[in-house]
Amino acid sequence: MKNLKLSERLGLVSYRNQAKSEIKPHIVVDTGICNSGCPHKCTTWVCPANCYTLDESDQVHFQVEDCIECGTCMYACDQGAVDWNYPDPEIGRGVTWNFG
Amino acid sequence: MDEKFDCIVIGGGVAGLSAALTLARNNMKFLLIERGEFAGSKNVSGGVLWGSDLNKLVPNYWEEEDGGWERFINHRRLTFMDEQSTFSLDFKSKHFNEAPYSGVVVLRSKFDNWLSAKVQEAIDASDFAMDSFIATNIKVDEVLMENDKAVGIRTGEEEFHADSVIIAEGVNNLLTRQVGLQDKYVPADHMLTGIKEVIRFDQKVLEDRFQLNGLSGMSNEFVGWATDGVEGGGFLYTNRDTISLGLVLSIKDMREKKRSPHDLLNHFKTHPTIADAIRGGEIVEYSAHVVSSGDSRAMPKELYKDGILIAGEAANLLMNAGKAIQGMDYAMRSGILAAETIVKAKEQNDYSSAVLREYRAVLNDSYVMKDINNFQDAVHLLHTETMQSKVPNLICDFGRQFFTIKNEPTPKSEKMLLGAIKRHSSLWELIQLGFKARKSL
Repeated sequence: MKNLKLSERLGLVSYRNQAKSEIKPHIVVDTGICNSGCPHKCTTWVCPANCYTLDESDQVHFQVEDCIECGTCMYACDQGAVDWNYPDPEIGRGVTWNFG
Repeated sequence: MDEKFDCIVIGGGVAGLSAALTLARNNMKFLLIERGEFAGSKNVSGGVLWGSDLNKLVPNYWEEEDGGWERFINHRRLTFMDEQSTFSLDFKSKHFNEAPYSGVVVLRSKFDNWLSAKVQEAIDASDFAMDSFIATNIKVDEVLMENDKAVGIRTGEEEFHADSVIIAEGVNNLLTRQVGLQDKYVPADHMLTGIKEVIRFDQKVLEDRFQLNGLSGMSNEFVGWATDGVEGGGFLYTNRDTISLGLVLSIKDMREKKRSPHDLLNHFKTHPTIADAIRGGEIVEYSAHVVSSGDSRAMPKELYKDGILIAGEAANLLMNAGKAIQGMDYAMRSGILAAETIVKAKEQNDYSSAVLREYRAVLNDSYVMKDINNFQDAVHLLHTETMQSKVPNLICDFGRQFFTIKNEPTPKSEKMLLGAIKRHSSLWELIQLGFKARKSL
């Protein structure tokens, strides 16, 4: 079986409120902390949905749209940069699993 | 809704639903709150629900045409893996064919939803058919405290009041932290990320490939090359016409070794044994969720306080001591015990910790805490490098020699074994391991 790219995998996820252009992020990341002395920037590889990315100058960026609410970043970040919460059912994003 | 409930249950997972079902059957007036569209819609597991508690909760559940579960386990396999080979302990028995089964594979979006329908039926049959509710699409923002006693919950601007709150919010236990029973920051040390794909087959193909008969199923756990040196393991469970294939990976180890879970899942799938098992399948879902390791050091400080009980994985009730990954059965039992404690508290009209500490006592006395406490050394042992890579490599190396027929004089097995031991470990290390294993397992 052909291995899927992460984008193809995430394409199989049912996200909530996908029609809404404005959503309230359920995770707030202080990337200032990530980019000013975090020794590892590990969220950029441990996140199963690749919500955390590095640009060409090694700066961490965060987007919440692909988040599958797994919680990994909340534990992985030991620098206090991740303010993790559950998405609001009405104005947040998050997932609805079809299998789970 | 100005009226006060006897209990508010937070979370429509296995723990919360088991608690709610028990409350309904004891004529309690309660509110079950689930943040997803329906119970199960936010939940992920491997997963097998082990043991026969389900039959206590929903008697004769297996008689239903489509009872929420996928397949019963009558075939178990533990596989050691190196780069090219797999060496398995394989046990299949007719003994496991009789209901109530000793384990059923579930997909949570379906199973929890089914269990939630059972809760609604029990509500309808109770004295509070019009006053107890399952409320979905509601996120609890806060457990309301008065004089350090829980008095209800707040969601947005709205408040709901109750004599007691059962927190069954799952492993990412924000409310357990809010009420002070767990530290605000839980480090990665004893936490893992579970990651999986659900892969669909023609049902006949699936049944033939895994030698399934009717609704029988197989559970297979993997240790070794599966995780490419990262602490953790792999799993494969058969559902009706899909399989659940995935890994459980230490977050701390991924952080330190700079490994990403989705790359590791792809790595696992390239192993020849796995590739043969999944050939021709279609991936229908990709999911991930944090899971606790079962190390009791990650548990909340306490599981009760005035007006509050913590059940299921919010209490980090989960364990993999080598035999099986148990969590949903712990959730079920702890949910039931929490609800029974609330029933007693109502009889005594005292929801303070003086009565609620009974929950801790009965949980400690149950197989859940007995096993968690008895098998802590096994949990630690499983997470050592020796067990994670040296032993699987050694076993596969030995297997390759033992099963190779060369038309040459064959060395005795002991010599083969000693050679494999020397290449991957040492006799001394294995003797130490043997002692530890004997004591811990």
